[in-house]
Amino acid sequence: MIEATFPLLGTAFVVLGVLPAFALVAKAGLVLLERQELGGPLHGLGLRYVLLTGSSVLPLAWLLSAGLHQAETGKSALVCLFDHDRTELCFEPGYFALVLAAAVLALSLGVMRKHRGARSSSTAATEALIARLTRIVASDPALACLRGRVFVTDETSFALGTHGLLKPRVFVGSAFAAHLSDEMLASALGHEAEHVRALDPLRYLILQLALAVNPFGRFLLEPHAVRWQAAREAHCDREAVIHGAAPLPLADAIVRAARPAAREVVALGARDTTVLKFRIGMLLAFAERAPARCCPQGASAFPVAFVLLLIALLLPHRTGTAALDVLHTGAEHTLTYFWR
Amino acid sequence: MTFRVRSGKKGLELRLHNLEATIMDVVWSKQLTSFVVGDVLAILEKQREIAYTTVMTTVTRLYEKGILERERDGKRYLYSPKLTRAEFMESTAREVLDEVVGGHQAIALLAEKVSEASADELDDLEALIQKRREELES
Repeated sequence: MIEATFPLLGTAFVVLGVLPAFALVAKAGLVLLERQELGGPLHGLGLRYVLLTGSSVLPLAWLLSAGLHQAETGKSALVCLFDHDRTELCFEPGYFALVLAAAVLALSLGVMRKHRGARSSSTAATEALIARLTRIVASDPALACLRGRVFVTDETSFALGTHGLLKPRVFVGSAFAAHLSDEMLASALGHEAEHVRALDPLRYLILQLALAVNPFGRFLLEPHAVRWQAAREAHCDREAVIHGAAPLPLADAIVRAARPAAREVVALGARDTTVLKFRIGMLLAFAERAPARCCPQGASAFPVAFVLLLIALLLPHRTGTAALDVLHTGAEHTLTYFWR
Repeated sequence: MTFRVRSGKKGLELRLHNLEATIMDVVWSKQLTSFVVGDVLAILEKQREIAYTTVMTTVTRLYEKGILERERDGKRYLYSPKLTRAEFMESTAREVLDEVVGGHQAIALLAEKVSEASADELDDLEALIQKRREELES
């Protein structure tokens, strides 16, 4: 049996079988959560996110860690990670971990390439807008988290959005802002402030990557991911109003941001217009009666995700790697079967 | 309460038929906490020509859908809204989100651009916001 068998076939098994199976389990959980009457659809966003991303990230982390662990048989986690200068190396699981990591990287490249931030502009024409935005942010305590984080872009098709993974920044399109009143801008910035507080660009990127590395399971999860993102946007609208943003100016800003620029290629179907209408309807209702906080703001999502990832990485070193052995023997038996 | 989301509609009409939406809009806007069919008819008659039986049938349908509740007051029924507008919109969220299947991206935008074909719909939404603003100001 050649040494490449397990690394190549094992990786194929993971992509074709293991990850789609986890996606199926996650889908069952998501369907149950989304159907839960208690609390409404804006509840449980954190748990739904963990299911969406964890179904890809956690098994991959476990498999990569188990591969490394088997390559250095019986060593503790830290030894496996940092002390590679040993002669007891078992190459096949190590190669498997390498090939799997390469496959994950290759599948992620498309998302990384598409993930592009806006370019900030600093011309004489934009100086006035920058001063206006600085004044709006300084005058509203709810926007304190945006101080020094609001930039202007001259990109004509860009309205308003948050970019940046660890230190998110809000970009405001100069053409878009020109037609907005101060109240509309303040309300729209209130919406973006919630994205900034929750590190949403990072969340969205991880979600995209988790779907990208599971090409045969993503079709199971994609509708749930789209629903999660739509609910997340509605959640940010609600949080903005709770923090003091005016609902009607926010609704106005959202409709104006949805208008296509003259020569822009459009990308959204009619069904997403339904979400837009719902968000506007919700804000019109908030103008009549202020909303109460319905759900946790998701501050615990990242610590929980980090702990789960750590457990997945350490588990093979503490409880064994039997599942990887099954994968290993399965790959070799399959090859033997077809080789005959 | 479960409703089918009506595609191509906006605001209340996402879940209610036109006249149902109009009546609920009147009930919520005028803050009618307890009313009879005639109260709604009196307001609607200022805007359009409409028969008492049409309003009565629609109000009964709203009661059957669980949006209004009622109690007998002699020979007539006194109706009251079961939900506020905000609660109604919130309860619509699940049906709306169930409808969503389109693409998404890894960037947090205030709103994604919608196709030029929906420019009329965006105009309608702006008009709706303006109408609401005027109602609240008056």
